[in-house]
Amino acid sequence: MTKPSRRPDAAPPSDTAAVRAREALARKWSYLLSSVVMVALSRDELDAELSAQLDALCAALHNEPFDPAPFEEVGGRLVALGYVNEPGLKRTVDVLGKGLLALDEFRASDQHTVRVVGGIGALTCGFTAARARAILDQQESMQRSLLKAAHDAQRDQRQSEAKFEGFASSSTNGVLIVGLDGRLAWGNDAIGVILSHRPEPGTRLVELIAPTSIVVFREMMERVLAERGEFEREPMQLVRGDGEFAKVTLTASLLRDDEGKASHVLVIADDDTELALLQGELRRQSLHDVLTGLPNRQFFTTHLETVLRRADPELGVTIFHLDLDAFGLVCNSLGGRVGEKLLQHVARRLRALMSREQAMVARFDGDEFGIIVENTAFTPDVATTMAAINADLADPIYVDEHGLAISVSAGVVHRPAPDVDPVELLRMADLALRKAKKDQRGQWELFHHNQDTSFRQDAALAVVMPGAWEQGDIGVCYQPVRMLATGELAGVEAVLHWDLSDRCAELADETGLILPMGEWLIRIAAGQAQWWRQRGEIDAQFGVRLTRHQSTDADLVSRVVKVIEETGMPHEKLTLSMPVCVLGVADAAENLATLADRGIRIALDDFGLGPRDLAWLTELPVVSVLVPKDLVRRQDLRSAALIPAVHDLGVNLCVDGIETEEQAEWWTAAGADLAIGAHFGSPEAAGDLLKKLN
Amino acid sequence: MAETQNWVPLGIDTNVPSMARVYDYILGGAHNFAADRQVGSQIEKLVPGLPSVARLNRRFLGRAVNFLMDQGVRQFLDIGSGIPTVANVHEVAQERDPAARIVYVDKDPVAVAHSQLLLADNENAAIVQADMRDPETVLSSPEVKRLLHWEEPVGLLMLLMLHWVPDEDDPQKLVATYRDALPAGSFVVMTHVAKDQIDESVDQAAAVVNRSKSADQMHMRTHAQVNALFDGFELVEPGLVGCGEWRPDGPGDIADETSMNMFLYAGVGRKD
Repeated sequence: MTKPSRRPDAAPPSDTAAVRAREALARKWSYLLSSVVMVALSRDELDAELSAQLDALCAALHNEPFDPAPFEEVGGRLVALGYVNEPGLKRTVDVLGKGLLALDEFRASDQHTVRVVGGIGALTCGFTAARARAILDQQESMQRSLLKAAHDAQRDQRQSEAKFEGFASSSTNGVLIVGLDGRLAWGNDAIGVILSHRPEPGTRLVELIAPTSIVVFREMMERVLAERGEFEREPMQLVRGDGEFAKVTLTASLLRDDEGKASHVLVIADDDTELALLQGELRRQSLHDVLTGLPNRQFFTTHLETVLRRADPELGVTIFHLDLDAFGLVCNSLGGRVGEKLLQHVARRLRALMSREQAMVARFDGDEFGIIVENTAFTPDVATTMAAINADLADPIYVDEHGLAISVSAGVVHRPAPDVDPVELLRMADLALRKAKKDQRGQWELFHHNQDTSFRQDAALAVVMPGAWEQGDIGVCYQPVRMLATGELAGVEAVLHWDLSDRCAELADETGLILPMGEWLIRIAAGQAQWWRQRGEIDAQFGVRLTRHQSTDADLVSRVVKVIEETGMPHEKLTLSMPVCVLGVADAAENLATLADRGIRIALDDFGLGPRDLAWLTELPVVSVLVPKDLVRRQDLRSAALIPAVHDLGVNLCVDGIETEEQAEWWTAAGADLAIGAHFGSPEAAGDLLKKLN
Repeated sequence: MAETQNWVPLGIDTNVPSMARVYDYILGGAHNFAADRQVGSQIEKLVPGLPSVARLNRRFLGRAVNFLMDQGVRQFLDIGSGIPTVANVHEVAQERDPAARIVYVDKDPVAVAHSQLLLADNENAAIVQADMRDPETVLSSPEVKRLLHWEEPVGLLMLLMLHWVPDEDDPQKLVATYRDALPAGSFVVMTHVAKDQIDESVDQAAAVVNRSKSADQMHMRTHAQVNALFDGFELVEPGLVGCGEWRPDGPGDIADETSMNMFLYAGVGRKD
């Protein structure tokens, strides 16, 4: 119900007596109306609204020729005010029919009498039409609400049935739902195991009872139906399919429908045989993690299948694959027992955090957990859930006096297609997790399909890579490093080359193949350098870039030293660079410092020209830094502004990926020293490079 | 679970009248179904002034919400909100302060669905489906947790509600449970069908409701009994009075038939 406002085209007359007469009539109208209708306006607002409507009506009565349309419109506007029914119309007709003609401005002429009568008729028509529309609208909105309520109720019912079924199906106890006529309506798998066959729905429960127990059974059921207590419990024997008897304890209670009427009897059968008890424990153990008591990965995967099928198609499910950050650190520094306690704590907290949701929390392997949430309209979004988990775990817990605050990273698959294979789903979550862990901690990442495509391509290449290397399909190419200002050759950089991918080093880094392959690259490059030097062809600096994996390799120094010894390359002719971001990781900075101590020139790759990057230059004897292609292409002024600071520290700066003259000029002006890139020469086979240089 | 497939949830069966929709019908709305209109018109025949009672109650709601806004209350818990109709609490409150927060509570699934559709774009208002006799569920609902802040005063509204709670369900204890949850400076707003002010036609009307298939049964109470429901609250001026007599502000706030002004007791209490 919006509030109408005064209409400018119906200004009141200038004559003050006439204005006052109209105001009095409008107030009377408002007064009479307000005691029979329900509107959303205050008294003053209603006065103002009706006064505006009255002005419109008066203007219409004065207008030549007379047009009753404004009357019809006012009828419609009355309906729009709120709940204005027939009594409201009746009072309006009364007050206006008499009141308009009593106004001085209309009293003089008979013509106005005719107009007022016609106008009131039009007002009634407008009111009736608008009221009919309002009723239809309200009825339609009720129908919509009714549909929504029915749909919501069905969904709630499905959820509670699914919950019950989930509980009853996974129970090691036999569960039977029996109609008031004594016939079986439903039984779970476990009752089938106890009886060695699954009883058909419709079977009379009494047929399953051993003759010796019939009397006890009948008495128990009578007590249940008479509702003496909450439930009844009696040990008795059931007849198995093979004619043997099964010793059980039956617990029976009455189930009620929504109106509170008895509808069924719920019977639970505890299998009392030793074997059953043992089997139950084994089954529990095979589906649960012993340390945390959570379902294990196998249980989680089976559960996924069920959940995907029954989830609300609109809201779907969300899968979280969680991984504790720095768990290895905790175990290594504080011991495995602390680690175990920490895992138990995380398990408890995750279960508590998800207790409001229809969710399963499972422990995968090591420090990984899985959560599947069946979304409802009230399930918080992924970001909120992740923030809640990390906020909760950030509260330190005390394990043997060590206060531990942890964070988790997560891969998340939100609303996957219901027909997706559970194993595939877990792979998607795992992929997203690895992406989240790549950069920082406490992060989460949603699974995306396009990422998946490129990941699959990469994965396919990574699989064939070792073979390609052995076959000689992966080779070494060389690209010139030049003085930016003069174009003079300053060095040569050796890079891996593979026809199938220009991300050869990155792929090898991801699979770990880079360790032998990177060593091989340095060996080939050093051999080539020695060959050229001995023949007097090129005597330049030779550069090789180390990947993340290589940089943190504990054997890096010994590998490099071995290669140099084998090839006889002078230490100071080799430049090795590491990505600057890896220096924070254990061993990398130490590796780099040791290499420098051996006389090898060291450089930093992927240099962002940020203050933190600059700080490394004061800590390590770095000769050169390499600005990556994306920053070079962007010609970032902030990066350029930091070049003097690099020079102040006695380090020179090389820009990678210069493709055009314009880029070269821009970076020259900015003060960069060296350059690599297509503009200065692309990677080539050794012989081709030599030809070009000569 | 084939047995339960034909289950129709209570309140979605439109053959059963719902008091929320009967109220809408009496107020002049069309958010109702045939069974609701049948009960509504039967009651109207017995108590011809009933539409004014419904209207007065609604007008009182508006005045009370405005009064609470004047007292600095910016969050409301409206229990038994029914079918959203003209001049809802959130409309009155948010017109004055768009940041005012409102949680509606009703047990009628259709009223709840209707409210959800209406409030879909209003992030400061929500509805909880719950029975008022289950304060645990109401107070621990995600909507209440999200929108109501327990360190500042709350306006608790229970209009035309407590006469649906029989003495066996201890309405006094129920109000006390809600009261204990409220922070100091909060208010309760109540209207209740009066037993000692009206003639036997009302008894007959109550009998119509109680005979209908509706799950709700009416229990009228005397001035002293309703007064007792305000235990632990201090009634603000003019105390517990006829609905039309509580700080009337205009002609629409009072009924032409004076007996209708006394049909409901209305009061606003403050928790210190």
